[in-house]
Amino acid sequence: MEIPEALRGLRKHSAVEVTLPSGDVALMVTRYKDVRSLFADHRLSRNISRRQRPDVARISADNELFADPNINPDPPDHIRVRGLVTRAFTARRIEALRPVAQQICDELLDQMEAGPRPVDLNEAFAFPLPIRVICRLLGVPAEDMDTFRYLVDGFLSVTKLPVEEVNQCREGLWKYLGDLIDAKRADPADDLVSGLIKARDDDNNRLSEHELRFWTQGLLIAGYVTTASQIGAGTAVLLHHRELVKEIQQDWSLIPTAVEELLRTQIMGSSVGTLRYAVEDIPLSDGSVVKKGTSVLLSEESANMDEDVFTDPFELDIRRTENHHMTFGAGLHYCAGAALARMELQVATKALLKRLPELRLAVPGEQLPRGLGGFTEGFTEIPVSW
Amino acid sequence: MHVSANRETCTVSSLCVYRAPEVFDQDDEGQVVLLNAEPPPEQHEGVRDAVRSCPTRSLSIDYEVG
Repeated sequence: MEIPEALRGLRKHSAVEVTLPSGDVALMVTRYKDVRSLFADHRLSRNISRRQRPDVARISADNELFADPNINPDPPDHIRVRGLVTRAFTARRIEALRPVAQQICDELLDQMEAGPRPVDLNEAFAFPLPIRVICRLLGVPAEDMDTFRYLVDGFLSVTKLPVEEVNQCREGLWKYLGDLIDAKRADPADDLVSGLIKARDDDNNRLSEHELRFWTQGLLIAGYVTTASQIGAGTAVLLHHRELVKEIQQDWSLIPTAVEELLRTQIMGSSVGTLRYAVEDIPLSDGSVVKKGTSVLLSEESANMDEDVFTDPFELDIRRTENHHMTFGAGLHYCAGAALARMELQVATKALLKRLPELRLAVPGEQLPRGLGGFTEGFTEIPVSW
Repeated sequence: MHVSANRETCTVSSLCVYRAPEVFDQDDEGQVVLLNAEPPPEQHEGVRDAVRSCPTRSLSIDYEVG
């Protein structure tokens, strides 16, 4: 429930060596200044395919997520594809989805109120909300949600599931997406997947068939587990600090800064997804050098606790206004769904605390089980009552 | 205050539109559109916040007078 003590003192050096779940070694960059500039540095490549770079560190021995050999997400290819995706995430389009998110929250809260207590907040609210929003945005039929969620959970396992099951999920998800694309191609609608198909079919150079499927997969996953885990974990942290809940309930205008502070101090994240590869030597702020050929992690968690940037970084301050945290990254790979996630977190937090003013954790916060061994490490279960 | 925005490096975080909606907008593709390069003083704080938050440093305050 607290910000990990391991994050104190980490920024004495610009970078520390870490061992990944695979056993491979990578260099983890710790200071805000370095993390922010390296996120935007072309000398760090996101191409971490072992087939193309045999000496790159693997995240896990079994899961090749982020290492697809057919995708080179460095510019200029990244820019070509990203432009197709980001147009669905403009402020105007996100704001058009706000009432949709509100309506989904209302429905989920209706069901919670009608059901037994305590209830698992993840199952009842935190996971169904983002998956419904992203399914709506992308055009995934609602009846596919359960299948989809099982496949994604398997896909995202680093060490949680046996390798056979991970592979089955990966293949299952890939097949599911192929079927979805076929269905949308036959019967297009006003959604992001149909838009991507149109871009692909209008101009073969803009998007390959493989990229079409790969990016649909990426969007589905990115829009779902991260937001769900943060809704759950962020709410749990708030409920653990009852006085903060009361403060918000007396002044709803605190919701946006509270959401940002929960994002900054996020305890569900893990920076393994930031893995990059140095294609040149890169100097860091303490004078040390990242040598060409080094695998590099950019620690968002550590950057977010940087004493040189944030006042009292280990304090949870829901009124913090200077809060340019690194949770969504920086540079041209900045999370495309950040505005969507922010909107959902704001709507969800307000809806929960308004509708269920007495909402509380049904077990002590310290006893909430953590889901380790995934790319996000939120709480696996959050029993709540009211 | 004189503001500029670089559409070439814009990565569509939408942060500027939320922080200073009178000054920054987006086109259909999401790239930044500068609505007013010389915003009035009451909008300066929002603009500074937007400039600081831009993930690709695509916004800048060229000069500030008065």
